[in-house]
Amino acid sequence: MYEEPYRWVEAVGNRRQYLDDQFKQGSPVVALTYEGGILLTTVSKGTPKLYEIYDRLALGGMGHPTDLEKLRFSLLEMAHVEGFNRSPSDVTGSRLVKYGIAPVIKQAFEEVYKAPFIVRILVVELGLKPEKDVLLTINYDGTFEEAIGCATLAATPTVQTKMLSYLKEQMRATQSLDQALNLALRAWAIGSLAHQEEEADQQTEAKPSANGGADSSASATPSSDSLMAHVRKVAGERTIECAVLERQAPGSSKYRSIKQADLSQLLPKMFQSGVAN
Amino acid sequence: MGMQGDFFQLLKEQGYTLGVPTAVGAGQALTNATTILAFKYRDGVLVAGDRRATAGNMVMYDRTDKVLEIDRHSVMAIAGVPATAYEMVRILEHSFKYYRRTQLQELSFDGKLRSVSKLLKENVPAALAGTGAVVPVFAGYDMEQGSAKIYFYDILGAEFEGVEYAVSGSGSPTIRGILHYLNTWGEQPLNALPQEQAIVQALRLLTSAAEFDSATGGVNREASLYPVVKLITEAGVQTVPDATLKPLHESQVVRYV
Repeated sequence: MYEEPYRWVEAVGNRRQYLDDQFKQGSPVVALTYEGGILLTTVSKGTPKLYEIYDRLALGGMGHPTDLEKLRFSLLEMAHVEGFNRSPSDVTGSRLVKYGIAPVIKQAFEEVYKAPFIVRILVVELGLKPEKDVLLTINYDGTFEEAIGCATLAATPTVQTKMLSYLKEQMRATQSLDQALNLALRAWAIGSLAHQEEEADQQTEAKPSANGGADSSASATPSSDSLMAHVRKVAGERTIECAVLERQAPGSSKYRSIKQADLSQLLPKMFQSGVAN
Repeated sequence: MGMQGDFFQLLKEQGYTLGVPTAVGAGQALTNATTILAFKYRDGVLVAGDRRATAGNMVMYDRTDKVLEIDRHSVMAIAGVPATAYEMVRILEHSFKYYRRTQLQELSFDGKLRSVSKLLKENVPAALAGTGAVVPVFAGYDMEQGSAKIYFYDILGAEFEGVEYAVSGSGSPTIRGILHYLNTWGEQPLNALPQEQAIVQALRLLTSAAEFDSATGGVNREASLYPVVKLITEAGVQTVPDATLKPLHESQVVRYV
């Protein structure tokens, strides 16, 4: 029945709705450049969401763990085969994304008989020089965007925009790793809170006695302290995950996952009891 | 195949073959003309190799690096046909990284040894045809057991553990005896040598090999050409810079007689 064009359009529309629903429980992911390289962070429960792809490439993801694994493996395969057949410097994030996984994700999304990938993906590439750092995001329909400086994954485009504008407003030209981590976590909190609000709004809208005044109060940006307090509260039950691509790291692999013990030293004092356990 | 994290298998699926046997003229043995050595010292393991590459009587190149870092904790020193040896090192380097990145854990030391054997076994036809024989020494620091290890191989891929030391290449018969003598009757066993003394011994051994083997380069002071010496400790692989080798060579290796 999907042979008819309007049916197909309708099916794709349904798919979007279905997929948007799948990200409701997801935790945002933040990527941010700092003076020594690029930082990736998220607050995850159970399955990790940040991964090493190649010497100078890292991955962050939202969505279904199995779909993320599938795409992670195809990225790893493509990167390593290319790095072996040509050279490690020919393995670039933008080639892997644009000609590698984005077409696959798009195809799966549009083949309405088959299951789509329930993922949003962030690929970051550490350049030889800071101005060559690239951050790429791919949506579940295969659309990709290239960004400089900062990038985020979030449950909805509105939340994503909120996080990005907060990051852009607070970002400094150069920032140390702990400054970047703190900013990234605050941006994560913006995303997490905005998402909670959206959920709450939807529930109130669904009820007949909706209160229209709730929206205006939500638009003010919360203070840094209250954002960090939110991160701390959530981190109690989940894990703060953080990984970096460091330009000055010894050897060819620049990826380093920051261990929980080292993480507590980068976080403000209020976390030190919270993260340690 | 992703589950296995096997990079070499992945390459093969893409149609890659290592070491295709090619018929060469009778008697044209492509030799393993070089000297490489590895021995355990106090802090870990030292791996060294001369820098000469030869083709028959001709010196092809005097700045070859035959001691190659595969990852932060392992090194392969190569004797044999360089084209195949470098290719193997490239495969191993990618294999270990691919395994770590896909499986989210380091490949065990035994797993690494197995990968070397597998590549050598794959290469047997080329080795027997005379175009691709590689006789490597693999050394590294086993992080799980907290100890340094040395392994050497024959061209068919059999793996032997060199408990205290291992040598390979055309210059190796000369220094094998010296190593045995030093380790048995020397002032102290090799594995008790402090770092500096270990480096001095490595330079002396390679100089001895060069004395009796035309295919081993030794030290060329005029061109400030020193062997490649790498140290593998718990902290990782470290290349000893020429600036360190030079004074040690002048003060403790050169004899004006």
